[in-house]
Amino acid sequence: MGEPLLTTQKLSNHFGMVCTARDLDLSFERGVLTSIIGPNGAGKSTLINLLTGHLPVQSGTIRFQGRDITRLPIHKRVRMGICRSFQIVNVFPELTVAQNVMIPVLARTGRSWRPIRSLSRETTVLRETEAMLTKVGLLPERDTPATALSHGDLRLLEVGVALAAAPMLLFLDEPTAGMNPVERVRLLENIRQLAREGRTTFVVVEHDMDVVFSLSERIIVLHRGEVLCDGTPAQVRGDAKVREVYLGDDVSDLFRINEE
Amino acid sequence: MQSYVHVILAGLSSGMFIWLVASGLTLIFGVLGVLNFAHGSFYMLGAYCAFTVLKYLGAGFWAGLLLGPLAVCAAGFVVERFFLRHVYRIALPYQLLLTFAFVLIFDNLVKIVWGGGALSPPSLSFLGGSIPILGRNFPVYNLFIIAVGPTVALLLWALLEKTWYGRIIRASSSDREMAASLGVRVPALFTGVFVFGTWLGALGGGLAVPYVGLLTPGMGETIIIEAFIVAVIGGLGSLKGAFVGALVIGILSAFGTRFFPAFDMALTFILMGGVLLWRPQGLFGATR
Amino acid sequence: MRAQTRNAVAASAVLLALCAVPFLAGKFAIYLTMRIMLLGIFAVGYNLLLGQTGLLSFGHGAFYAAGAYGLGLFGAHVSTHPLLGVAAGVAAAVLVALLIGYLCVRHTEIYFAMLTLACGMMVFSLIWNLREITGGDDGLIGIMRAPVPLFGGIKIPIGTDGQFYFFVLFFFALGVWVVHRIRQSPFGLALAGIRENARRSEFAGVPVRRYRLAVFVLSGAFAGLAGSLEALLESNARPFMAHWTHSAEPVLVSLLGGMSSLAGPLVGGAIYIAMREIIQRFTENWMLWFGIVLLVIILGFRGGVVGTLSALFRKAAAKGEG
Repeated sequence: MGEPLLTTQKLSNHFGMVCTARDLDLSFERGVLTSIIGPNGAGKSTLINLLTGHLPVQSGTIRFQGRDITRLPIHKRVRMGICRSFQIVNVFPELTVAQNVMIPVLARTGRSWRPIRSLSRETTVLRETEAMLTKVGLLPERDTPATALSHGDLRLLEVGVALAAAPMLLFLDEPTAGMNPVERVRLLENIRQLAREGRTTFVVVEHDMDVVFSLSERIIVLHRGEVLCDGTPAQVRGDAKVREVYLGDDVSDLFRINEE
Repeated sequence: MQSYVHVILAGLSSGMFIWLVASGLTLIFGVLGVLNFAHGSFYMLGAYCAFTVLKYLGAGFWAGLLLGPLAVCAAGFVVERFFLRHVYRIALPYQLLLTFAFVLIFDNLVKIVWGGGALSPPSLSFLGGSIPILGRNFPVYNLFIIAVGPTVALLLWALLEKTWYGRIIRASSSDREMAASLGVRVPALFTGVFVFGTWLGALGGGLAVPYVGLLTPGMGETIIIEAFIVAVIGGLGSLKGAFVGALVIGILSAFGTRFFPAFDMALTFILMGGVLLWRPQGLFGATR
Repeated sequence: MRAQTRNAVAASAVLLALCAVPFLAGKFAIYLTMRIMLLGIFAVGYNLLLGQTGLLSFGHGAFYAAGAYGLGLFGAHVSTHPLLGVAAGVAAAVLVALLIGYLCVRHTEIYFAMLTLACGMMVFSLIWNLREITGGDDGLIGIMRAPVPLFGGIKIPIGTDGQFYFFVLFFFALGVWVVHRIRQSPFGLALAGIRENARRSEFAGVPVRRYRLAVFVLSGAFAGLAGSLEALLESNARPFMAHWTHSAEPVLVSLLGGMSSLAGPLVGGAIYIAMREIIQRFTENWMLWFGIVLLVIILGFRGGVVGTLSALFRKAAAKGEG
């Protein structure tokens, strides 16, 4: 397995009186598809924001491949290989689908600074953009402005833009929110396929338990900024504390899967 | 000793004067989120209207101060109700340019109505002249301004903190949608606040008539820069910040003008640069 | 006809027409066309910052003035070589833009606009107060248009307006070409990304603050170029160039013509100057009418002249095909 990709030491965060992260010691291994779940307010988004640089760290450290990245600005973390998608679609509205995906590709290949060379001459970049669009299934929409896309396609674009940075570690924040079942299945297949290809390690924040249990090799359960349970889907299903916290709709889902 | 006291007094009067102009600007930004370039024009219109009442209607200074700004409120109403309202939700450049368009329109309207030359108002009988302070004369009117400044500050504070209306204004500025869903008629409220802010600016203009001594169509453009700086230093949208910022700028500029005359204009900007380097959101501004 | 070919043909036609002006038109028309080109350089470079990257600066007059005073002081103390003078002006503008830009780009939106406004006015007040160097409110006068020395001892005279016209035209064509290339480049796309979503650009790995500073300085260089050319044209440099009401000009002109195209600021500049000339014949208060035009555009035609017209053409073309 080797050295873990990302680790945190005593990561903590307060928002006024509310503790959104409490002494988190986490470790993410390469190639292990992880899900982060927890009831509302558990601190899932805060964790992603801290790990990706969206939120400044108040106390604790974050290490990526052994290197301390706690104070590193966002674009530097992205260049190192940590990226994220957003819960609310956060793309480049007036640009076309192809342009949306091209920007991370340009940044990654170190070509975004070139001021005189025409984009049409950047064959490697164009090729990689096409490949990425095909991967997420948006190639036919390549010249459509993002504002004209359907909601499902927008969510695909959202993931596509994040993937285009070819990150080693990709945090997906509720990628299937608002999708219909068909779109959801397609996106999950994509993620499963990409995870199998092995270049990107996925960490997915999700609410949908079907998604979580069918997709993940490892599940982290957060509650009030602390880790409630951390293990394989079977371990999480069997954990008493998890059942207690999830008393209500999701528990019955857990039981249903258990009985299948 | 005497010169220090006079410099401080001069600083206080110019500071309080700028506070009066900046208060309306800050209120409008705080509630509506719009930075009104035309605020300087309302100030100028206030001065010209007060002057007209004073000179042509034969009424006294107080009548001018009362009626002049009220006339300007009509202009403020028209601007907000029929023009500004349409640009709240669109990008910043359009908002600023809309208010700038009104600067062009009002400045030229003033030139057409009152002529392009400078106008001198008659001198005041009641608050005119000067009184000796520590052996040197100091204008009485400036002392009046030093008194008016904190009075207006107190009244604004009381309005916003202690009245029901003020509470609604504060709620609507922090969350427009929430206020609307609670039944507040936000568009009407915004118009009201804009007109009130316009009135404050015009009042500043009316008070400027004896203070500045000379009315020109360009007077709005110079004052608006100072008002912007004070508002930015204090933190855009914070009335407390504008008050403190005006005091600081007023006193420091007075010292600067007295002891380093070559840098008088640049000093204010350097101060602003310094404050913003230390606190990017201004002294009392909200962190984003 | 493909859009690219169509644009190339149109650009060539305009260039040809511009070359013809000194031979076909009178003195005043030549002068006016030069003013339009100067404003065009100022605005098209400025629009890289506003229309392409989404940053509103109200202080670019400072860089325009730096260009003018840079050339003027260089000519008075070092050499009257016009090309070196322009280079000195642009260099001065770049320096000032670097200083002001570094201070300002860490802020966003309204604070950025206000800070650049204040910095511009600070430059204005410095120029006004440092009389011994800048001539104060009188400005620098007597700036000469010496002949341009080329290789082989050839000197190209630019003394008359007819001759100087081609000097201006050269820099105008060069400037517009550079902006065109930038818009088509990876850097241009990155800037558009920053405009559309700065946060997401960070997450795509784009160093947003650095690129904002770069385009700020670049647009400042264009302002300096226009300023130094105006200093040569008018033989003087004035403090007003740094005043915020002058800084508003490229903003207004870009809005008028349309912020999202290359041609927008150029068309806007031409309309602005043409309007001023025409209306000024009837009334002193032409700015009043310009204010009204501005209102109309902001409320109804935000794409500007070029944007609105191209939208109309597209609709007509679509209807024709339907």
